[in-house]
Amino acid sequence: MIRRTRWTWFVSLAMLAAGLALLAAACGGGGKKTQETTTGAAGTSQQKTFPNFRIVYDTGTDYLDPSYSYTVQGWAAMWNVYLSLLGYKHVNGPDGATLVPALATDLPQISADGLTYTLTLRSGVKYSDGTAVKASDFAYAIKRDFLADSPGVGFFTNIVGADEFSKTKKGEISGITTDDATGKITIKLVKPQGDFQNILATIFAAPVPQGTSSKDQSTTPIPSTGPYMIQSYTPNRQFVLVRNPNFKETANVPATNPDKMTFKIIEDDSAALQQVINGQADYDFHPIPVDRLADVQQKYGDQLKIYTPANTYYFFMNTREPPFDKLAVRQAVNYAIDRNALVRLYGGLATPTENILPPTYPQYEKHSLYPLDVAKAKQLVQDAGVAGMTLQVWGSNRETSKKPVEYLADVLNKIGFKTQVKIIDASIYWTTIGNQKTKAQIGFADWFQDYPHPLDWFDVLLNGTRITDTHNNNYSDFDNAAINAKIASLKQKTTLNDTVNQQWAALDKQIMQQAAWAPYVNRQFTDFFSTDIDTGCYINHVLYQFDFSRICMK
Amino acid sequence: MIEGAPEWAPSGLRMATQPQQTTQQASAELSLDTAALLAQEEHGVSIAGRSPWYLAWRRLRRNYVAFAFLFIFVLIVVACSLAPVYAHHVAHTGPDENHVTDTVKIGHKQVPVMGLNTGGHIGVTILGPTWWHADGKFVLGADANGRDVAVRLLYGGITSLKVGIGSALICTFLSVVLALLAGYYRGWVDWVITRFFDLIWAFPVILLAIALGAALAINGIHWNLGLFTVSVSGGNLLIPTLVISYVLIPYIGRPLRGQILSLREKEFVEAAIAQGASPLRIMFGEILPNVASSVLVFFTLIIANNILTEAALSFLGAGVQPPKASWGTLISDGQTRLSTAPWLTLVPGIAIVLTVLSLNIFGDGLRDALDPRAKVRIEH
Repeated sequence: MIRRTRWTWFVSLAMLAAGLALLAAACGGGGKKTQETTTGAAGTSQQKTFPNFRIVYDTGTDYLDPSYSYTVQGWAAMWNVYLSLLGYKHVNGPDGATLVPALATDLPQISADGLTYTLTLRSGVKYSDGTAVKASDFAYAIKRDFLADSPGVGFFTNIVGADEFSKTKKGEISGITTDDATGKITIKLVKPQGDFQNILATIFAAPVPQGTSSKDQSTTPIPSTGPYMIQSYTPNRQFVLVRNPNFKETANVPATNPDKMTFKIIEDDSAALQQVINGQADYDFHPIPVDRLADVQQKYGDQLKIYTPANTYYFFMNTREPPFDKLAVRQAVNYAIDRNALVRLYGGLATPTENILPPTYPQYEKHSLYPLDVAKAKQLVQDAGVAGMTLQVWGSNRETSKKPVEYLADVLNKIGFKTQVKIIDASIYWTTIGNQKTKAQIGFADWFQDYPHPLDWFDVLLNGTRITDTHNNNYSDFDNAAINAKIASLKQKTTLNDTVNQQWAALDKQIMQQAAWAPYVNRQFTDFFSTDIDTGCYINHVLYQFDFSRICMK
Repeated sequence: MIEGAPEWAPSGLRMATQPQQTTQQASAELSLDTAALLAQEEHGVSIAGRSPWYLAWRRLRRNYVAFAFLFIFVLIVVACSLAPVYAHHVAHTGPDENHVTDTVKIGHKQVPVMGLNTGGHIGVTILGPTWWHADGKFVLGADANGRDVAVRLLYGGITSLKVGIGSALICTFLSVVLALLAGYYRGWVDWVITRFFDLIWAFPVILLAIALGAALAINGIHWNLGLFTVSVSGGNLLIPTLVISYVLIPYIGRPLRGQILSLREKEFVEAAIAQGASPLRIMFGEILPNVASSVLVFFTLIIANNILTEAALSFLGAGVQPPKASWGTLISDGQTRLSTAPWLTLVPGIAIVLTVLSLNIFGDGLRDALDPRAKVRIEH
C-alpha cells in the first residue's frame, strides 16, 4: 500500500515534470532553447545552438545574390552563406580585418612581380545541394559578375583577359586558370594590385555552381558554401537562412549558434524597436529613433551596443551635370552644409567630417577646407551664374537618408537654388542613382568599407576610369586625370607603410580641394537585443558588423 | 405659404408648373397645379412660384447641423489660407526651413530646437509644443528636422485641400462628360466607356493610386504630343491630383451614367430631339441640369474622399513628395515619434477628420435638400 502510494506519487511527479517541460517548450516557440556543445576542428570553439534568431531587418537589402548585392544589409546576411576563397576572422575588433583562407587551403602564393596569385581549393567542399565545389566554379563566378553587369566588376578588371571578356562576354577569362582535379587556381594580373587579396575575399568572388543563370537569383537562391543557406526570400517582406547540411566548420569559418535566422523586413525604425522591446523579435538592425535613444539607453542599457564601423556619409554632386560641373558650386555646397546640424539629425551618434576616409584608417589626416559659411556659398553660386536653377535632390525613403536630404534641399534653397526632392524606395535607390540615364544631380550617399584598404574608397568611388553606365559607384562621376593617375600609382603599392599612407592622406585632401563630394559625418550605430539574448556572445566584425551567426540565447 | 412647385422637374415640364394668374376659371381646368389651386381656393391666398434651387436652399438652411459643419470647413479653409501670414508674421519661418541648431526663447531661457543630450545620455531632445510661450514660434513643437510643426500643419492643409478640391473638380468634370456621352449615345460608345469604368473599378483604389503615384513621382509626366509637350515633374502637386482624379472617375461616372440612361428615355429628351436640338445642347442643356443636384452632392462628397486618399497616398510615399507638407506626409513623419511626440500624428489626423467629417455632413445635408429621395453616395 505504502509502496503503491509512493509509486503513484513518483509517476505523478514525473508526469507533472514532463508536462511542465512540454509547456515550457511550447511557450518557448520563438526559440529560447540553448544547447551548449563544444565542437570544432580543434575542439575549441564553443557552440550554443538555439532554434531561431528573429531579426528585424531594414529595407536596405538590395539582392541576395552574390553577384548583385552591394549593400551592408545584403553582405551582412550573405557573409555566412557564400564563402569566398579568402575571408576574415570572425572576431571582435581590428583583428577581424585579418585575411584568412575560407574555401582555399591557404592564403595565396604571390609571385615576386606581384602579378600571379596561386591558391588551392579545399578538398571535399560541397554546396548546400550536395554537389562538389570545383576550382572552375571560381572562374565561373568572376565570369558571371561580368555577365551580370555586377557592381563588383570593377574589382576584377586588372585580371588578364577580363577587359576582353567584359566586351565580348564570350569564352573564358584568360588570366584565370583552374584545375578541378587538384583544386589549383591561378590568377594572373595585368599590374600589381595592393588590395587584390582583399578583393578575393569579397562576396563577388564567391564560387557559384557553373551554369547558374547570370540573372538575379535572389528569390531562387543559389546553393551555398557557408554555414547557412537561403531557404526563402520574399523581397521587402522576409528572408530565412537555415543551416547548410553540407557545411563543415573550419578554424576560420567557425560553428554557428542559431539553427535558423528569420529576417523580417520592416521599414519603420520605431516599429522595429518596439518589436524587440515587446519580445516579438530578438534583434533590431535599425538605428534607434533619435528621440528614443536616451530612453532605450536608460531602460535597456545592457541590451544596447554602440559601435563605430568605418563609414562616411556624404552628398554626391554629379560633375557631369550642371551646375556641379563647376568647382565653385561644389565648393559652395561644402561651405553651406552645417555638419554639426547633420550630427543632430543622426541623434548625436555621429562625428562631423570633411574627409573621404573615416578616422579608423591609419591613412586618415583630418582636414577642414570648408568651414560653415552660408554667405560665401551664396556668393559662389551667384558668381557661377547658376542662382535660381532647379535641382533634383535624391534620397531613399529610409529615415537616415530622408532627413539629411530634406536638410540639404533647405540649404540649397537658401544659397540660391530651387529644389525638388526625389525620395525613392531604398531597395532601388543605389541602382537608380548608379544608372547614368538617371542623371542624378545631387543626393545622399554613404560608404562602408568592403575591405580595410584606401583603394576601397578612392579606387571604387572616385576613380574616373571606373565609371560605369549602370551600377556605377562613382555617383559624382568624378573624373580627374591627375587623381586617376595618382590612384593608379598607389594601387601598385603592395604594402601600406607610412610613406604610402601619407600619400593616401594627401590624395584625400586633393580630392576635397576639388570638392568631389560633400562629406558630412562618420556615424556610430546601435545594435539592440531583446532580454533573451546573451550579449556576452556579441561579436561586431570590422567589416560585416554584427555577426548574426555567433550570437547566443541566455 | 404652400410650396407650389414640385421639387424638381425636367425643363420640358417646367412651363406647366408655373402658378396660374386666374383664380375662378382655372380651378375647373385640368392642370398639373390642381393641388396648388385648391389650396389657393381654400385659403384665399396666392401662391408664389419657387425655383427648385430656392426650395433646396430653404430646406438646406433649416439643416443647422450641416451649416455648423460647413462653418467648420470654411474655418479650416480660412486658417490654411492664412498659412503664409502665420508663417511670416507669427512663426517667422517657412514650412520647409530646418532649424536644427537654432534655439528658441521660452520665458527667459534659450531652449535648443534639437538639443544634444548631456550627462552621459545619448540622443537628441526635440522641442515639444511651446503653446505660445515662445512668441508664436514652434507652437506645436518641432519635427525631426527642426521644422515648425504648426506652420507645416497649415501649409499641409493648403496642399491637402488643393489636391482634394483640384482632383474633385477634374474627377467630377471627366465623370460627367463620360457619363453624358455614354448615357446619351448608348450603343458602342456606352460599351467602351463602361468597360473603361469597369477597368478602373476592378482595381482597389489605393493600390492603383500607389502604383501610378509611385511611378509618376519618380519620373513625372513627359508626353511629346507633336504640337506641344506635356511635362510635369515628379514632385509637382499635379501628379497626386491627377492620379486621384483618375482612380475615382468610375465612382461618380457609373451612377451618373445610370441616371442619364434613365433620363435619356424621358419625353423631354425626345421632344428636344424632335425640335432638332443638337446632341451637345441636349446633353448639356437638357440632361445635365437634371443631374446637377447629384453632381453637386457627388462633388462635395468626393472632395472629402480625395483628401483621405491623398493622406493615404502621401503616408505611403506615393502622393505628395517631401519636403512639401501635406496632412498625409505629416502623419507619416510623425509616426516614427508616436510614442514620444504623439501630437505630431494626432494634430494632422484631427485636421483630416474634421475636414472630412464637415464635408461629408454638409454633403449629406446638401443631398437631403436637393433631392431627399436620392441615394447619392460614394461607394467603394
